[in-house]
Amino acid sequence: MSTTTSTDTGASTAAAVEPRPQPSGTRRPAEERRRRRRMPIGAYICALILMVVFLFPLLYLLNTALKSQAEFVANPVGLVSDPQWGNFATAWEKGDFGAYILNSVLYTAAGSAIGTLLTLVLAFPVARGYIRGAKYWSVVFVLVLFLPNALITQFQLLLRLGLYDTQLGYILLVGVGVGVGPLLLSGFVKSIPRELDEAAAMDGVGYWRYLFTFILPLARPALVTVFILQAVWIWNEIILATVLLADPTKFPVTVGLYAFKGTYGNQWPLLAAATFIVAAPLIVGYIFIQRYLVNGVVGAVKG
Amino acid sequence: MTESFPFPRRTPVRLTFGLGMLLLGIFGFVPAIGVLIASFTDLRGLPGLPINFVGVQNYIDFFSPAKWADSANALRNTIIFAVVSTAVQIVVALAIAVLLNRKLRGRDFYRAVVFMPTILGVTVTGLVWSLIFNVSGGPAASLLDLFGGRSAFFGDPNLALSLVILVQVWMVLGVSVIIFLSGLQAVPEELYEAAEIDGASGWQRFRSVTVPLLAPSITANVLLGIVNALQSYQLIYVLSGPNNRSTQVLSLLVYVQGFGGASGTTLSQSQGYAAAVSMVQFVLVAIVSILALAILRRREAKL
Repeated sequence: MSTTTSTDTGASTAAAVEPRPQPSGTRRPAEERRRRRRMPIGAYICALILMVVFLFPLLYLLNTALKSQAEFVANPVGLVSDPQWGNFATAWEKGDFGAYILNSVLYTAAGSAIGTLLTLVLAFPVARGYIRGAKYWSVVFVLVLFLPNALITQFQLLLRLGLYDTQLGYILLVGVGVGVGPLLLSGFVKSIPRELDEAAAMDGVGYWRYLFTFILPLARPALVTVFILQAVWIWNEIILATVLLADPTKFPVTVGLYAFKGTYGNQWPLLAAATFIVAAPLIVGYIFIQRYLVNGVVGAVKG
Repeated sequence: MTESFPFPRRTPVRLTFGLGMLLLGIFGFVPAIGVLIASFTDLRGLPGLPINFVGVQNYIDFFSPAKWADSANALRNTIIFAVVSTAVQIVVALAIAVLLNRKLRGRDFYRAVVFMPTILGVTVTGLVWSLIFNVSGGPAASLLDLFGGRSAFFGDPNLALSLVILVQVWMVLGVSVIIFLSGLQAVPEELYEAAEIDGASGWQRFRSVTVPLLAPSITANVLLGIVNALQSYQLIYVLSGPNNRSTQVLSLLVYVQGFGGASGTTLSQSQGYAAAVSMVQFVLVAIVSILALAILRRREAKL
C-alpha cells in the first residue's frame, strides 16, 4: 500500500520545488508571468541546498584527511588549521591502494565487457526470432532478473571448478550478472528495421559481421547503458568478492578499503585520507566522462 | 518466425547464442537452481564433507521458536529497508528531476553532482557517512550537541536502520533522477503551455500533466528500486557490519550463516540453512514485486 501513497507524497514534495504556484483563478498578465520565469530564485535556492547535501560530505572528508591525529582529537569538526599533506603518502604506503584500484578496474571492465557481449549475442537473435523457441528464451531474460541470492552456490561452484580465489572465476561470476540487459536490448533491437537485416544479407553480409559491424554501432546507446549498469554494480560489489576471493592481492578496492578501516578504524584522518585516495581518481574520471555517462543513460532509457 | 531468417547460414547464430547461453547457464542458472537444492541439504562450507538430504528441516528451523527471533528481525528489517528507502527515493528523485529539468544555469553540473555517489561506490560512501555520524565529535554529533542532544547513531538500535536508509537514498538517488529526467524529456512542452493557458497552477500542472505522463518511469523506478533494495546489503555491511542486529537484513543473514562471521548461533557455517534463507528472501522478492506491479498497473490505468 505504501507504494500507492508514495506517488502522492512524492507529488507534494516536488511541488515545493516547482515554481510557486500562482493563485488559481486570477489570471496574471503574461508579461509578469514571463518575468517570474526568468528569475526562478526559489529553484536556485533548491539547487543550492541540493549541492550542499551532495558536496558537503566530500568536502568534510577532505577537511578531515588533512588534519593531524592530534588536531582531529582536539577539534574534529573545525576547519583544518595546519594541513598535513603527508597523510596521503602514509595512507597510500600502508594501504596499497594502487593495486586494489587496478584490480577493481580489471574486474569492472572485463566483467561488464563479458556481460555486454553476452547481452548482444543473446538478445538480438531472440528479439528477431532467429532462434527456435524465441518466445521461451525471452521468458528466460525475465527470469534472470528474479534469480535467488546464490551466494552459497556461487561459492560452491567455483570451489568445485577449481576457480575459487582466482581472478578468472570472479570475473566470470560477475560477468554473467547481466540483469536487465537482455530485456533492454531486445526492446531496443525492435526499433531497428528488419529490412536492414534482409538488405545486408542480400549483399552477402554474414550474420557475425552483421551483428558486430551493423547492430553493435546502431544499438550503441542501449549497449552503453547495459555496460554502465553492470559496471556500477561490479564496482560496488563487496560481499561476493569477500566470499570468492581469499588472497588480499586480488581484492577489489571496496574490500581493500574496508580492510583498511578494520586496521586503522580509530585514526580518522588516515582513514579519511585513504578514502579520499580511492575517491579522487573516481571523481576526476567522472568529470571527464560524466556528460557521456549521464546523457548516455538518459538517451538509452528513452529507448 | 524462424522461417524468415535472411542470412545464408544458421550455424553462426546458433554457435554464439549457444555459447552465450551455456556461459549464462553454468555461472548464472546453475548456482540459482543449486540454491534451491542446497536448501534441502546440510551442506557445509568445507569441501569433502558428506552432504545429506534433510528435507525441509532448514525451513522448519527458520520458523522454529529458537531461530524465529533472528528470522523475524531480519525479515522485518528487510521489508522496512526496502519499502521506506524506495518510497523516499522515488519522492525525492521526482522532486529533484522536476527541478533539474528546468532551464537553470549550471544544470548539467547539478545533474552530474547528484549522480556522483553512484560512481563513488559503497565503501567510499559508507566511510564518508561513518565519519559524518562519528559518535565522538562528528558533524552530526556536534549539531545535536548544540541542542543538548546526544546519540550513538549506528550504535543506537532504534536509529541505525533509519540512518542506513538515509545513506542508501543519498547513494542511489542519482539513478532514479536520471530515469525520471529521461521520462520528463519525453513530455511535450505544448502540454504545459496548454495547461497554463487553461489557468492551471504549478501544482495542478504537475499533478495532471507530469505525473500521468511519467507513470511508466515511476513504475520502472519503483520496481527497480524495490527489487534492488530487497537484495542489497553492501552498504549496510560497510556502515554497520554484518552482525548488527538492528540493521541485519536477509542477505546479510545468508552471509553470516554461510560464511561464518562472529554470529552467536549454533548453526554457524551451515550453508544449507543459509541457502534456505536465500529461498525465503527469493519468495519475499517475488511477492513484493508482483504486488508492486499489480498496484502500479492499476494506478496507471486509472490515470
